[in-house]
Amino acid sequence: MKFNRNYYYLFLLLGFGACKQPEESLFRLLPASESGIDFQNTVTESDSLNILDYLYFYNGGGVAMGDINNDGLADLFFSSNQLKNKLYLNKGNLKFDDISSSAKVEGQSSWNTGAIMVDINGDGWLDIYVTAVVGINGFEGHNELFINNKDNTFTESSQKYGLDFQCYSTSAAFLDYDLDGDLDLYLLNHAVHTQESFGRAQIRNDRNEKTGDKLLRNDGAAFTDVSEEAGIYGGINGYGLGISVADFNKDGYPDIYVGNDFHEDDYYYLNNGDGTFTESLKTYFGHISRFSMGNDAADINHDGWPDLISLDMLAQDDAVIKSSEGDDMYQTLKMRTEQYGYHYQYSRNMLFTSQPGMPYLETALLSGVAATDWSWSALFADYDLDGEKDLFISNGIPKRPNNLDYIKFISNDEIQRKLIDGRLMDQEALEMMPSGKVANYFFKGDGNSHFMDVSSQWSTSVPSISGASAMGDLDNDGDLDIVTNNIDEPVSIYINQSKGNSLEITLSYKDKNPLGIGAKVYAYTQGKLHYQELYTVRGFQASSQPLIHFGLGTATLMDSLKIVWPDRSEQKLVNVKANELLKVSYNPTDTWVQEATTKKTLFARVTNNLGIQYEHREDHHTDFNYQKLIPYEVSDRGPAFAYGDLDGDGAKDLVFGGARNQQAEIYRATEAGFKKFESLALAQDSLYEDTAAEIIRDQASNRSSLLLGSGGNVVSPSLSILEDRNYTLSNSNLQKTSLPEHFVNTGVIKTNGEFTFVGNYSAPVNFGKIVPSYLMKNNAVVQTFEDLGMVTDALWDDFDKDGLKDLIIIGEWIAPKFFKNENGQFKEVNAVDAPLNGLWQTIIPFDIDQDGDMDYLLGNWGLNSKFSASAGHPMKMYYSDFDQNGSTETILATFQKDTYRPLLGLDELSGQMVFLRKKFNSYKEFAGKSIEEVMGETLKNAEVFEIHTLASGFLRNESNRFHFVPFSSELQIAPIKAFTAFDFDGNGTQEVLAAGNYFGVIPFHGRFDSFPGAMIHSEKNVQLGSTLGLHLAQKSVRRLEIIQQNNKPYLLIIYNNDKAEVYEFNQ
Amino acid sequence: MTKLKFMNLINSNAKFFFLLPLILMGCKKSEPITISALDYQNGVDKVTEIMIHDIFSPPVASRIYAYPNIAAYEIIAQNDPGYQSLAGQITHLQPIPKASNPAVNFPLAALVAHMEISKAVIFSEERMESYRDSLYDIWQNKNEAEFEASKTYGLEVAAFIKNWMDSDNYKETRTMPKFTVITEEPDRWQPTPPAYMDGIEPHWNKIRPFVLDSASQFKPTPPPAFSMEPDSDFYKELSEVYEISNQITERGDESEEVQIAQFWDCNPYVSVTRGHLMFATKKITPGAHWIGITEIATRSTDSDFNQTVFAYTKASIGIYDGFISCWDEKYRSNLIRPETLINQHLDENWKPILQTPPFPEYSSGHSVVSGASATILTDIFGDDFKFLDDTELPYGLPVRTFPSFNKAAQEAAISRMYGGIHYRAAIENGLAQGIQVGTLVNNKLKMKVK
Repeated sequence: MKFNRNYYYLFLLLGFGACKQPEESLFRLLPASESGIDFQNTVTESDSLNILDYLYFYNGGGVAMGDINNDGLADLFFSSNQLKNKLYLNKGNLKFDDISSSAKVEGQSSWNTGAIMVDINGDGWLDIYVTAVVGINGFEGHNELFINNKDNTFTESSQKYGLDFQCYSTSAAFLDYDLDGDLDLYLLNHAVHTQESFGRAQIRNDRNEKTGDKLLRNDGAAFTDVSEEAGIYGGINGYGLGISVADFNKDGYPDIYVGNDFHEDDYYYLNNGDGTFTESLKTYFGHISRFSMGNDAADINHDGWPDLISLDMLAQDDAVIKSSEGDDMYQTLKMRTEQYGYHYQYSRNMLFTSQPGMPYLETALLSGVAATDWSWSALFADYDLDGEKDLFISNGIPKRPNNLDYIKFISNDEIQRKLIDGRLMDQEALEMMPSGKVANYFFKGDGNSHFMDVSSQWSTSVPSISGASAMGDLDNDGDLDIVTNNIDEPVSIYINQSKGNSLEITLSYKDKNPLGIGAKVYAYTQGKLHYQELYTVRGFQASSQPLIHFGLGTATLMDSLKIVWPDRSEQKLVNVKANELLKVSYNPTDTWVQEATTKKTLFARVTNNLGIQYEHREDHHTDFNYQKLIPYEVSDRGPAFAYGDLDGDGAKDLVFGGARNQQAEIYRATEAGFKKFESLALAQDSLYEDTAAEIIRDQASNRSSLLLGSGGNVVSPSLSILEDRNYTLSNSNLQKTSLPEHFVNTGVIKTNGEFTFVGNYSAPVNFGKIVPSYLMKNNAVVQTFEDLGMVTDALWDDFDKDGLKDLIIIGEWIAPKFFKNENGQFKEVNAVDAPLNGLWQTIIPFDIDQDGDMDYLLGNWGLNSKFSASAGHPMKMYYSDFDQNGSTETILATFQKDTYRPLLGLDELSGQMVFLRKKFNSYKEFAGKSIEEVMGETLKNAEVFEIHTLASGFLRNESNRFHFVPFSSELQIAPIKAFTAFDFDGNGTQEVLAAGNYFGVIPFHGRFDSFPGAMIHSEKNVQLGSTLGLHLAQKSVRRLEIIQQNNKPYLLIIYNNDKAEVYEFNQ
Repeated sequence: MTKLKFMNLINSNAKFFFLLPLILMGCKKSEPITISALDYQNGVDKVTEIMIHDIFSPPVASRIYAYPNIAAYEIIAQNDPGYQSLAGQITHLQPIPKASNPAVNFPLAALVAHMEISKAVIFSEERMESYRDSLYDIWQNKNEAEFEASKTYGLEVAAFIKNWMDSDNYKETRTMPKFTVITEEPDRWQPTPPAYMDGIEPHWNKIRPFVLDSASQFKPTPPPAFSMEPDSDFYKELSEVYEISNQITERGDESEEVQIAQFWDCNPYVSVTRGHLMFATKKITPGAHWIGITEIATRSTDSDFNQTVFAYTKASIGIYDGFISCWDEKYRSNLIRPETLINQHLDENWKPILQTPPFPEYSSGHSVVSGASATILTDIFGDDFKFLDDTELPYGLPVRTFPSFNKAAQEAAISRMYGGIHYRAAIENGLAQGIQVGTLVNNKLKMKVK
């Protein structure tokens, strides 16, 4: 293969001369006039064949890139839905010849889909497999396998190979799943049945010949269907659109991720190595994309493990979002997950970063890639050659069938007008859907799971309907070009004009897999690992050039390369020069050794849980049924917890609060472990939802009492279920005395021995109502705080170092508040240097910057969210009785591009405020409107709450003034709800353990479930809990506490709606 | 006539252009405005059309019909000794203001008030406004003084009625809690395919009734106790729905039962899903169907304006109270739909012939309002009132003929079983519940002086 940089420069000159693209643009679009590629996938709708008859009418054709004549130049194959397939031979200089007809690859099927180049017979020449949809709508034909005759012609041989399927195929992937040296086939099919009812998830076990995916084992002479025995689902509900193959768990066997559209879950098939797979989605993924389309696997953060993106259809443009059908209703998602057995699915892209042996982190919102509209292909690669993986996403749909005005108004007017016999709709009615033609996305990666939208910098943003996408180096200039198959327009060929250094590698493997499909390449440069696996089926209904490609940034040398061949042997190369095509032939020197994922970790579960059997169980209450517009739930704040010596025996006891209709539990410390203490008083008080607890030791009487604060978001049977209670233990009996009557939601109770702070949160079913908080001494209120805001936590700490315990109070929609203790009077002082309203959840003192003074760590909402806020453009919450019917509403607005817009859509807002339906008779009128335009005059009387930052972080102590510093991004994945400090690793200094996750939001927000906790050693040194043996993903941690048992410390983790767990430390 | 208005006339009604000299000559004189029963029927039809576009659930739709009719009725009752005001007869309604201007044309004022209140209760106001303005133009040009006097009075009454309407708890119920789905309780209602919508209007029993003393006045006997034991009454009723559905499905779309089910579907929002493509086929509500039958009755009896308004008003009062009574029971018994149970226990792939509407099963809303409406219409127009029901023609359904209102109501009720969306108890007890509501309306309201 020639590898000539001169071509590149030549093209730069030509390119700049020929068109008017900006000079800095990374890609230029190669026009058909220049390339000779004039193919376009024209789809012709008719009254009897359109999106009404075939749900995937707009999914487009396929594209495959590879060198079919072994001349060193990548050629291009396009499958066409209704027309003839096309094969273009690369003649060099980006000139192509159409040899489709002579090559005999034009195909016979009525409806072609995926296109894959693969050397199926191992003769060193690429063959072409084209999938088809057959058996509905009169579609005829079968999947076709064009075997390369080595003379630019092909012979269709699908029947001979047993691959002439007549199903509803989307695409296919080739992989050697049994490591026997030849390539097997995963055939990705899609269901077509109208998904009117969910049905049980388990119908995926009932195999359907047409719609079910298939695994075909290559047995030399022919392929054998081993789907059933291999554990591959093949149900009528598998809407397979995306497939990625990678060794996700790095055990040496290729695994498979299948993206399914609609309500069917995606499938995460882990290869057991014995010819079978175990579908393990729910174990490793907290939630997934809902309308899953294409996906792609690649290591984006240099840890040597494949990460994954799965695409969906959420738009960025508010006008599109608000006029399109969005996520499920709360109730529907609950039913689908709890009753029908499906997983949590949300309609946006999902980015999963691998945590070896543990659940993935999902960070699409934090990473900036959550919303790319109607998206088909994702291709990770280092396009700008800076050493970091970037991301290309193709998108677009001819008509948006999820347009709400169309669904609710326009379609029926058409149906009504025509009353078409036997058909609900005709083509004219379908034409009234709005166009979904949008520009493709380019994202520049930073190597740390962050992506910046550079679409308009890297290319001219031309709206198109681009589906299948392939990449490779068409001009052999060392960078990756991209080709997309478009509907009703010529294909897009993005020619990369990068100037950086790169390394391209082709492999020459043995047996029936000469291209080395499944090989892994580890490349090391400047102390960084670049990792890639060779699988060509990527980018939706497509295959890319069989090429390993690394960008090198400024480096011109790869320090070392390690190739792990599919047979698990290794081969090493050192000091590999960049910018030359490297051909590596199979010549192994070592045997591969699997990386250990279960090394000894710092934390380990204590099997008997020290006798603690407490489990928090939330009731059925759903706040959003009562206050439809509140930003998050109020009634899920429990459980309360207190740790102190309640019985006066010198050992600290445990108190766990109950949820509503669950009694609080006391565990007394004994030498044999913790023993539950039965109490009639607590049993009688199970109606209270306990949200705050504290054990107070009265020095004078030498007796302890237990304070339980109540919460919840209900007013039935009476307000008195919100009263706080005081229990004292005498003669082994717990006796209750009521506290001063404050029928509000208690946020926190914290004592310093002398003073007890009772921080209140809000009034029930009146989110936003500010209620007073109190300071008590000897059970009497000594100071009232009228307008602190929604208090969540407090800390007694001498922040001004005058020897007196001061009080720091945090809460939601407020900044941390510092109250200085002036001989028992607490006065607020201004200690924070910037507006700092947050959704603060927890606070702990810790010298994180190791400068000798005490900083304060603060848990906030995190940045992996649809909320957005800054000091300049705070997130706003308006609180008022907007419709003047006696009950209050809250409306959230965030700053988007140029103005504040409501976060939620017309259905949500008008569900609470019917007058909006009179104001906006269509979704189009509503979409894109500012909050002022939507709410009008009613905003004027509203109370406004603000958030300046959603980031968790710390207050850096600068001589008793405090400056907020956000944590690094791994601590922003989910709300942080709990901290605890301890010298966990026994190195003589304390660390802080942080944990959180939160589920009390509507499906619009998704589920904050993938934060595995983290150990904060210092500002720059943070370890995720998933590497420490903590299993916190998919659970919502509310409290971390170090407890002692027989003078040994343990970590107690308390969750909302789950069993408390005890861990010990392997120091 | 000012120049401006003259120009308007030309613009708005070019066909009168050739009559111009005539109008110019006669412009000082004005001809009296005649409002016919047809005008009123057209006004009600307009409201129906907008309601279909806007999409209202059946209970809310019943409210949209009722208040505009009551406003119109109260106006004609001012002027026609043959009719008595409803003030003091229906809850909290006070006597409306009297017309002080002798130029008031009462039917015209009634129509103005009807349109004004209709505009307040539907969403797409501009659709109502453009209809209203086209009529206003005509009337103004016919006789400005009469029109202005009638309009002023009509709007005054509309404001009065709106004020009364605003205290019916409708606004407050908008923000009351949604229905909480608890799937652990096997008999409790759950959202149904394909849209799995939340249960609609769980607080409709808190809406102020017109004639009922309370929402629970005609609480029906409870449905058979939930049981999945094959010999239980409940299970038998469940099996009956399944078996009837299978039998008539086998007989095909042309079978009498399927025709009946579809004729009485009356679902304002049937969502259709084809992959990512979604749309809705919309029809009138059960209440609207009976409003349509009322129209047929008034037309075929050549009822005058006042009799027409009277019939609409009385029917819509019965429908309104019928929904309150029915919804009170629905969210009391919270009974699960046949579709959910059949899918769970009998046949995973079974789909009812009609789409299951999004609220609990017991009692059948269509049965209740059909019972109430038929009882009231029988009282007005007599028992053996044969009619040809073409109400559903605009929605692609054929006409059906009925020997009486009661027979129509019985067919509407049983149609819910054919449709696979109700058990027998909900139909039979629902019909009885509706007849009780209708009888109460007949007995309690003194409207037409006989």
